[in-house]
This record gives sequence, C-alpha cells and structure tokens, in this order.
Amino acid sequence: MAVSTIYSTQALNSTHFLTSSPSSSSKQVFFYRRQTNRRFNTIITCAAQQTVVIGLAADSGCGKSTFMRRLTSVFGGAAEPPKGGNPDSNTLISDMTTVICLDDYHSLDRTGRKEKGVTALDPRANDFDLMYEQVKALKSGIAVEKPIYNHVTGLLDAPELIQPPKILVIEGLHPMFDERVRDLLDFSIYLDISNEVKFAWKIQRDMAERGHSLESIKASIEARKPDFDAFIDPQKQYADAVIEVLPTQLIPDDNEGKVLRVRLIMKEGVKYFSPVYLFDEGSTISWIPCGRKLTCSYPGIKFNYQPDSYFDNEVSVVEMDGQFDRLDELIYVESHLSNLSTKFYGEVTQQMLKHADFPGSNNGTGLFQTIVGLKIRDLYEQLIANKANAPTEASKA
Amino acid sequence: MTSIAATGLNVATPRAFVRPVVTSLSAPVRLNYPWKFSSTKRMVMSVKATSEGEIISDKVEKSIQEAKETCADDPVSGECVAAWDEVEELSAAASHARDKKKAGGSDPLEEYCSDNPETDECRTYDN
Repeated sequence: MAVSTIYSTQALNSTHFLTSSPSSSSKQVFFYRRQTNRRFNTIITCAAQQTVVIGLAADSGCGKSTFMRRLTSVFGGAAEPPKGGNPDSNTLISDMTTVICLDDYHSLDRTGRKEKGVTALDPRANDFDLMYEQVKALKSGIAVEKPIYNHVTGLLDAPELIQPPKILVIEGLHPMFDERVRDLLDFSIYLDISNEVKFAWKIQRDMAERGHSLESIKASIEARKPDFDAFIDPQKQYADAVIEVLPTQLIPDDNEGKVLRVRLIMKEGVKYFSPVYLFDEGSTISWIPCGRKLTCSYPGIKFNYQPDSYFDNEVSVVEMDGQFDRLDELIYVESHLSNLSTKFYGEVTQQMLKHADFPGSNNGTGLFQTIVGLKIRDLYEQLIANKANAPTEASKA
Repeated sequence: MTSIAATGLNVATPRAFVRPVVTSLSAPVRLNYPWKFSSTKRMVMSVKATSEGEIISDKVEKSIQEAKETCADDPVSGECVAAWDEVEELSAAASHARDKKKAGGSDPLEEYCSDNPETDECRTYDN
C-alpha cells in the first residue's frame, strides 16, 4: 500500500485537493488546485484507510460530553485533548476515535454574534461549507487544519492539525443540519431532552454559579427556545437513533426530575444497524422486571418495547422508566435484552460500572448511551470487514 | 532585579485576564528553579487554570447582568436572545471548567508527569 506525504506550504488563497480513484488497487492520485478564500493551509497525507463518521446532535448542557466519554471507553482508551496544542481546544483524541466539536465551525465569534443579534444555534453563525469540506477530507483520509473556537474567550483561535482517525465523531448543534454533511455520516444520534428535564439539569448545572438565579436560568432557556425549535429540533427526523429523555411516569406529580423515563428510538432499515429488542422482535412488550426473582426499591423499573412510526419512518422503541439501585438489577435487565451487540455476557453492565460516577449511570440515559456505543462499535466492525472484502474482490476480477 | 521587573512586565502584557496573583507567583518560582523551565511553565499554567475558573465565573456573572439590561429594553430583539445565548455558552464553559478541576487537575506534578513520564522527577521504580 503506497503511503505518500505531501506538505504544501502554500500561502494566500489556494487549496490543494487530493483524491484517489477507489476502483484500482494501486492508488492513483490527482491534484486539484482551487482558488478559495480559506485562510488555512492544508497538509496532505494520503492513506488507504476509510474513516467512519458518526454525528451526535444535542443542545448544550444535554450530556454530549458524557456520551462521548462512554463511547470512547467502549472502543478502549481515554479520550484527551491533543497534547501540546491549544489548551482550550474542544477536540478529544483517543486511539481509535477523534471527537470534533462543531462549535469550531462558527463563522461568527461571540462579539460578531452579539452585533448581528444572532445565537450560536442560528445557521448564519456557522460555516457549513468549511464543515462539509473538512469532514469530507477526514473521511477520505486527508488531515485538515481545523479552526478552534475558544469557549472561554469567545474568539476563533489559530487552527490545529487533525489527523484522520479510524472513527470520527462530530458532535454539536448542527451535525445533521446541512444535507451534504448528513450524507457523509455513517450513523447519527440525536439527544432529545424534554423541557422539564432540561430545566432541571440546567438548574443542577448552574445553581452553583454565582450570579445565576432560577429566573436567569429560565430566561436563558426561554430566549433560546425559538431558535432551538426552528433549527436544532428538526434534525431529529434525520437521526438513526434518538435518545429521548422525559419525566418519569412512575411517580405521580414528580417535579424533582431525579427519576427519568428514557426512550431509545431506533430507525429500521439502517445499514449495519440492527435495533435492540425485548423478547420478540416487532411485537409490543411491557415488562416490569421487579417481582419474585428481583426485588427493586421504590419506584422500581418498567420497560416497554414496541414498533412505532416516527416522522414517517419505521422505528423500534425501547423504553426504560425508573432507576437501577443495584448491580444485579442491571445484569438481570441486560440478560433479557436482545441484539445488544455485546462481545461477552455482561458487557453492558461492565461498561456502566466502569463509569459509575458519570451522570445517568443508574438510569436509562447511561444504559442506552452504552448500548448505542456498542452498536456503533458493531457498525464500525461490519463496515471495515466490508471494505476489506471489496478490494480483494476487485483484484480477483 | 531588573529580570524580575522584566518578567513581571512580560507576564502582565496579556491584559485580558492576568490578575496580580498570577504575576507575583510566577516570578519567584522562576528564580528559585531556573533549570526547571518546562515544569515552571506547568506551575504557571496550573495556577492560571484555577484562576481561569474564577475568570469564567466572573464572565458568567457579567454576561447575566448584560443580558438583563439588554432585555429590559426589548425582550424579543435579536440582541436580547444573543445575550442569553452568551450566558448559556459561558455557563457551559464554567461547568466544564469545574468538572476539569474536580477531575484532578489540581496536582501540577501529576499533570506534568502524565505528559513527561521519562523525566527525572517522574520516574517510578516498581521493582
């Protein structure tokens, strides 16, 4: 396999684009030169690897970073910011995965947005062209210089070099907003948090901050709601998996928001993705595991599984309401779920225990995030196995 | 003595968020251990990290004030919405900073050694 490295210290306004013809087993390389207004130089490396791209969408303060940590842990290793670079970088790198925060593609910094009266949720504040180009480049195995958006100062810092990883995760507010970027995604997830739960989580997060009060938190959520409903929320129809978090139905008139009802909505017919099911695929099941074999404390656990329709798509929904109190509840539940894509019995429980200090480790959020992580690993392995078979067939012919 | 003043001046130039606390701490450390250049930088950076948490908290507080003022004039304008969005962004940054601090960025030696395990200060002899 030929591996070539070309360093272009090209200045001014041009970018080199490198493509290789996928059909031949010996890589043919074509150079294109294009006049663009990009400020960043590209360093080009060609490698014969395909990157799997995962998209994760959620509003801020909704558990994306927790999900990211669980996901990278499923693949092994801890994800850390790039060493020796900008300390305020949003990127996380581990052996197999690189996580890119889409806030880095803001076209307007904080002052720019204030002048125009535009939120970060608004597509006018984001450079989708650059996002598409760079994700496409990384997917084809080309390293890119990605800008950094500094959340502390609110400015766009100097770019950092990102090498193409085996698995690229793009997380942020708009991974599925732009159609071209959407087509590049191999799998997409949307974290849908209901308003009451969002309010409760933000209170938990912000009440420790001086200057914040209940009114300011509420005002902040209310002010962002129109933009959120207009630009972010519609992305859930495109997602392959939606994790919906709602208040519990087990406790009447509960307003503490500690016990949660979490639904995992999985699209049917997605390549390499087989939805999780309970007992019998395609049927409607309602299951309360607490009884003679398993004793649970109040309010207990309730599971539901059913086929459904979501935004005109066929989906399967697994729902968990309640909390895990003990390890044996978790392993009991895991042994009854099917199609989990685990490599050994108890893997889900093991992963949940490994991160018992993460928020949501005792309820459906942690459980479904872990399961989605295992599903992504399964998808990755199937994709790689498929790609490995394709060139051997081409050489035979 | 001039070198202290020089270093003091150099550190003070990023006017954005250097407090006197940071300046006075960095100068004596540099003088006492002039060979530990990189670990000194670590020391300064870790001190900066804790004061950075306070800096972000200040920013959050200020942004909430600004948002309240902007929205008092016109609650549905783009400026008001953008101001509350800024509050949200800074609150998220503050909570991340708090998590990072809690996760154990408090020991500068541990931080330095995780990056440079082969240096003399960080060698461990297990057998």
